Formats: sequence, structure tokens, C-alpha cells
Amino acid sequence: MAKPSRQERFLSLLDEHKKILYKVSASYCRNLADRQDLVQEITAQLWRSFDRYDSSYSFSTWMYRIALNVAISFYRSESRRTRNTVPAGESILEIADDRGAVEPDDHLVLHDLIGQLDELDRALVILFLDGNRYDTIAEILGISETNVGTKLNRIKQKLRRDAARTV
Amino acid sequence: MDIDDLKQRWDDQDRKLDIIIRLNTRLLQEPVLNKAATAMTRLSWLVLPEMLLNLIACGWLGSFIAEHLHAARFLVPAVALDLGALALLIAGIHQWIAIRSVDYSAPIVEIQKRLGGLKVQSVRTTKLVLLTAPLVWTPLLIVALKGLLNLDAYRMFSHAWLAANLAVGLAVIPLAVWIARRTAGRMERSPFVQGLLRNILRDIAGYNLTAALGFVSSLARFEQE
Repeated sequence: MAKPSRQERFLSLLDEHKKILYKVSASYCRNLADRQDLVQEITAQLWRSFDRYDSSYSFSTWMYRIALNVAISFYRSESRRTRNTVPAGESILEIADDRGAVEPDDHLVLHDLIGQLDELDRALVILFLDGNRYDTIAEILGISETNVGTKLNRIKQKLRRDAARTV
Repeated sequence: MDIDDLKQRWDDQDRKLDIIIRLNTRLLQEPVLNKAATAMTRLSWLVLPEMLLNLIACGWLGSFIAEHLHAARFLVPAVALDLGALALLIAGIHQWIAIRSVDYSAPIVEIQKRLGGLKVQSVRTTKLVLLTAPLVWTPLLIVALKGLLNLDAYRMFSHAWLAANLAVGLAVIPLAVWIARRTAGRMERSPFVQGLLRNILRDIAGYNLTAALGFVSSLARFEQE
């Protein structure tokens, strides 16, 4: 059997981890057009960096680093919405079922809550909610495990306080 | 809502995503992967014409200096301009190398610190260029008239006129900062002031530098806490 090409291998790994693209873009961009731009930007960066990917390490850790780094830069950039190469109306990530399974209610509540955090805390929470261990989160963010624990506790307390205030 | 509720919702979303999202591989293979120019590569292309312009300026000013080594009245303004162009060229090369060498697969804090530092450097350079531009006008006039048209600005205009131009240039700097600070905030919401002009106002007013420095310090706090 022929060995898959570099592009085929990349697309297969991307397909396997496509949920990361969705979750990161949804957590950093509120409007659909920005989300599509961000998905495109992350995908382009992943592809450009793919040569340097060492397959002995987890693809998801590598992908999280790139996706979050691009998302934070995109979020801070003032030149958003000026770089479409994908034709309008098409999207790299397609919602195959439009019966409202994710959007709008669940999506809005979940990402509105995450959206209240600053861009760095948001990265931490995404990684935590996605079930990553403290050591993996620390490795992706580049901070200590203790720091991860301390920050998560603070965020938990903040969410509890906010919830108590709204009751 | 606490973090456990949030986690529950996240997991629910995760299960639904398994079923409903699909990767558009056709679209990926065509424009995205074939024209995989990222924000950083586009930024590095933007720096290139600026570098080229400064390189040409350095070369031209260098030959002008060589021709006027014994004429201090032309030599002094030309050396001042050449040093400015050289500083901008070095800053541009440094920025270009830094942009090209960013590895997005490195830990987030490390990369964001590098990008934050680059932003601070770029905003500082732009602010310096914008603020010193009124001062550059007089030496530029002297050198350009001599170098391009072989005209002597000292004979065409009086010394007092040239000195007054320099003085006005100096006075314009604090005035420009004052106007930019007064208008930049209001212009944020203006539909007519967008993009480059808004950015120039924010640069002169120092808002972009404050924001860039703020992000760098928030990264330091995030790393240390």
C-alpha cells in the first residue's frame, strides 16, 4: 500500500482533531465571519509548521499550541477581516447538521462565559475543559504546574462569585 | 454557574461536535494549503518594501556624503539623515528576522512574549518616525535640493528661514502629541477615521504603546503568579 503523502497525513490528523479548531475559534471570536477567518489562519499556520512537527509527540498538544498562539494574536490584531482567501459563503469547518445541536443557545452561553476571561485565562480554561492534565496544560502554556492549579482555583472562585451575584 | 457546570456543558458540546462538524477538505486543499500565507508571513512582506526604501536612502546618502566630505553645511544634514535611515534599516532587518523566526508551536507564554516585544519595538519605531518627521523636513530639503537638482538651499532661502523651519518642526512635536491625545479617543468610534489614520493617531498619542506594554506586563504576571 502506498505511503500517504505529507498533505494527506496532515489532513487526516487535522480531521481527527478538528474539534480543537472549532472550540478555539468559537472561544476567541463571537461573530461567524471572524471565526471562519480564524479557522483559516490556524489551518494555514498548522500547515506551514507541519514540517517541524515531531510525530513522537502528541499532535493535539502541538495543535493546541499553534491554535491558541494564533487565536491570541488574531484576537489582539486590528487587521481582522481583511484577509479572506476562502470564497464567501464557504467554510473550512462545516456544521453538517443545522438543527441547532450546538448553535445558538448552548454555544452562546458557554462561549459568553469563557469570553469574559482575558485571552490568556481563556486559553487555560479551554485546555482544562477539554480534559487536559495539569502537566499538559503547563507544557502548552509554558508555565509551571503549580501555577496552572493556582490560576484554575482563582478562575473557579471568580465563576462562583459571578454566579452568586446573578442569583 | 461554576466550573463543573461549565465542564458539563463543554462535554455535551464535545459529543455533539463529533456528529455535526465536518472538515471541508476540498476547500482546504485549494486555497488554504496552496496559498498558506499566514498573518506573520504577510507582515514580513510588508516590512520588505520599507527595508528596501531605507537601503536605497542609505546608499544614496552615503554617496552624497562622500561627495560633500569637505562641505560641512551639506555634510552635517546628510549624516543626520543617513544615521536615521541606517537606524531604521537595522530596526527593519531585526524585525524581519524576528518575524520570520517565530515558531508558533512553542509554548504560548514564550511566543506571546516575543510577539509582544516585537509589537512594542514596532510601535516605538513608528512613534519615533512620526514625531521626528517635522524635524527631518529641513535637512531633507537641503540635501535633496543639492543632491537631486544641484541647488544650494542656503543661498535660495535665508539662514533665518531654515532655522525657523527647524524651530517650527520642534514646536510641532508636542502639539501633534496634544492633538492626537485629544482626538484619538473620539475618533475610535468615528466611521470616517479607520485603519491607518486611526492607527497613526493612536501611535502619536501613545495609546498603542501603552496597550502593547500592558499586554507584555500581563504576560509577565501570568507567568509569575
